[in-house]
Amino acid sequence: MDFTLTDEQELLRATARSLLGNECPSTLVRAHWEDPSVVEPLWETHLREWVALGDGPLVDHCLFLEEAGHVLLPGPYFATSALFLPLLRALGHPSADVVAAGGLSGTVALAGLDGLWTTEPSPDPVRRFVPEADRVDQVALVLPGPAVAVLPASSLTARPMETLDSTRRLFEVEVPADVDPQPISPEALAAVLDRATVALAAEMVGTTRWLVSTSVQYSKERVQFDRPIGSFQGLQFKMVDMSLDHERAAAAVYYAAMTFDAGDPDRQRAAHVAKAAAGTAAKRAAKDAVQIHGGIGYTWESDVHLFLRRAYASEYLLGPSDWHHDRLADLLLGGSSLR
Amino acid sequence: MRLAWDPTDEAFREELRAFIDAHCPPQARVGKDFLGGDDEIIPDWAREWQATLFDHGWMIPGYPPELGGRNATPVQTLIYLEELARQGIPRSVHFGGYAIVGPSLLEFGNDEQKAMAPAAIRGDTVWCVGMSEPDAGSDLANLQTRAVLDGDSFIVNGQKVWTSYATVAQKCFCYVRTNPNVPKHKGISVLIIDLDTPGVDVRPLRQISGGSEFAEVFFTDVVVPASNLVGELDNGWRITMGSLAHERGGLWVEGVFGCQRAVEGLVALAERRGLAGDPAVRRRLAAAYERVATLKALGYKGFAGFAQGSSAPEHSYMKLATAELRRELFELGMDLQGPFGAVVEPAFTEERARWQQGFFVGLAANIGGGTSEIQRNTVATRVLGLPKG
Repeated sequence: MDFTLTDEQELLRATARSLLGNECPSTLVRAHWEDPSVVEPLWETHLREWVALGDGPLVDHCLFLEEAGHVLLPGPYFATSALFLPLLRALGHPSADVVAAGGLSGTVALAGLDGLWTTEPSPDPVRRFVPEADRVDQVALVLPGPAVAVLPASSLTARPMETLDSTRRLFEVEVPADVDPQPISPEALAAVLDRATVALAAEMVGTTRWLVSTSVQYSKERVQFDRPIGSFQGLQFKMVDMSLDHERAAAAVYYAAMTFDAGDPDRQRAAHVAKAAAGTAAKRAAKDAVQIHGGIGYTWESDVHLFLRRAYASEYLLGPSDWHHDRLADLLLGGSSLR
Repeated sequence: MRLAWDPTDEAFREELRAFIDAHCPPQARVGKDFLGGDDEIIPDWAREWQATLFDHGWMIPGYPPELGGRNATPVQTLIYLEELARQGIPRSVHFGGYAIVGPSLLEFGNDEQKAMAPAAIRGDTVWCVGMSEPDAGSDLANLQTRAVLDGDSFIVNGQKVWTSYATVAQKCFCYVRTNPNVPKHKGISVLIIDLDTPGVDVRPLRQISGGSEFAEVFFTDVVVPASNLVGELDNGWRITMGSLAHERGGLWVEGVFGCQRAVEGLVALAERRGLAGDPAVRRRLAAAYERVATLKALGYKGFAGFAQGSSAPEHSYMKLATAELRRELFELGMDLQGPFGAVVEPAFTEERARWQQGFFVGLAANIGGGTSEIQRNTVATRVLGLPKG
């Protein structure tokens, strides 16, 4: 077992960090709140070429997504590379190569009225929590069977859901009556969902990293009672615990990614562990970052709330921590589930 | 990044497993989370097992054969620690001799003292380590036991406390103050004190768990030959860090795998008690599994850095996190027993009060070797770079 990055992986991370750090400042993220089209130049000139990561080793994709989460990257990148492309690949869909080459963006519509992403898609007439449904070229509708219909986004009726977090926009999409879906095995669909779960957890680790490091930095500079507040043990202990949660979640994400890349039987458990750990870490870091920033942390102009919103929104997408714990319990305790 | 170990390392693991199958006594294989249940503090089987490990080169794999090893690589040492911890097999029930005293004698001792190391590692000599005092627990540099050089002897006066194995040890690796007129940590030295020297009084100290592995040790005008000084006079602070350098990257292993065994035990306990379908219990068990799994991954990540020669921040988190997790896991075991959580009578409890005893040991794990609060202070200033309070 080796947790160190190869030279190529180090380069990938450094390139992603530099690209996203330069091209996706918080001014862009804030502008996206008012006008989602502001991220199009970034998508067109830079991000399309990175979609192929969704096809390759999951460790590499996680390295990129961690940096994307660190800048709250908005737009169709996550939906296209972490949801749409892996699903098309699992289907053996002819468009998969085009998507991997950056030629098409897409998203996945799976959760029904209850909002849960499961391998037993509901017969509900709508799909909810569909990321970026109005800004992608195609939508893969996952229907009972399970089966998948890939449709042009323009052929669907999508209603934006008003959400906590504007950096990842979510939609409610009506399921058309006359679609002709292609079957997919529950195992293949489960693998796609597990992979997407780890990918989202990687993003959340990046978001958490920002919350921890910004809090540490701020507490070194902010002086109260003639001392930097970072010297107070009450705040130090909070930051140690935030940081420990972050480190654990990061290690769990890359362990999970390695299990996927190795085809290891532990991968399903590892995916649930990664998402639950990332959710726990992100929520704690977000709450405590507001607390450490004090009154300034509660203002609209501070970036802390942008990260708080993404942290919670990501926690609830693709299954909250409790839901992943329940699935983990099913795997640990065998057939004694009350589900 | 990759998941698999090299084939040569897997072969090393197989060789170790075969050795364990052939030689490990049944008493060492019960996977107990505590060792306080025996009548003897160091039972005979434990002495024999430690000597067997030494004689076959499996005591300290990274050491050469004459010191109980086989010149193993860091990765192999990790595999060794992992394999023993996975099966819950102890190397020794008195770690001070092989983990602290042996390496310190080898690094700082004169030739005569170096020659004492193999017996310390094999367990032939039982050592206690005299560090803590009533006013020098977390603040180790505050120790007050005085040693005054008088001709070719030191005269030692003072008291140690929470001294593990002092009631059965032959020798004490004792930290003493030899110079009160310099900054606290600059006036400390290390002396080897034979515990049968006149003026040494060892009194067992009963612990929360009911056992008496600890003792208080009183020194009254104890005469110690000056040649028993380890290293330089007044320079003993350097020796406080003494431990097995090549095992440092794997210090987390026993804690994490102990927690992993505890979670396996909790799942079995929930099933036996008919709680496996209770949603609240299921969530607590899953959360416990998640915490162990994430810590294991963090340990491996830290080890990867260690093997490449960097001092990874992960190590600072591991002791803190495993000690706290251990306490919570064994508390969960008590909770799952319902009313019988309050009982330690073998007829009613799970595995002779495994969870109750383990909970007490977990409390100690958050105090000994640096309290959880001291660990947090260390992470805050050394890892996060926060200003000192």
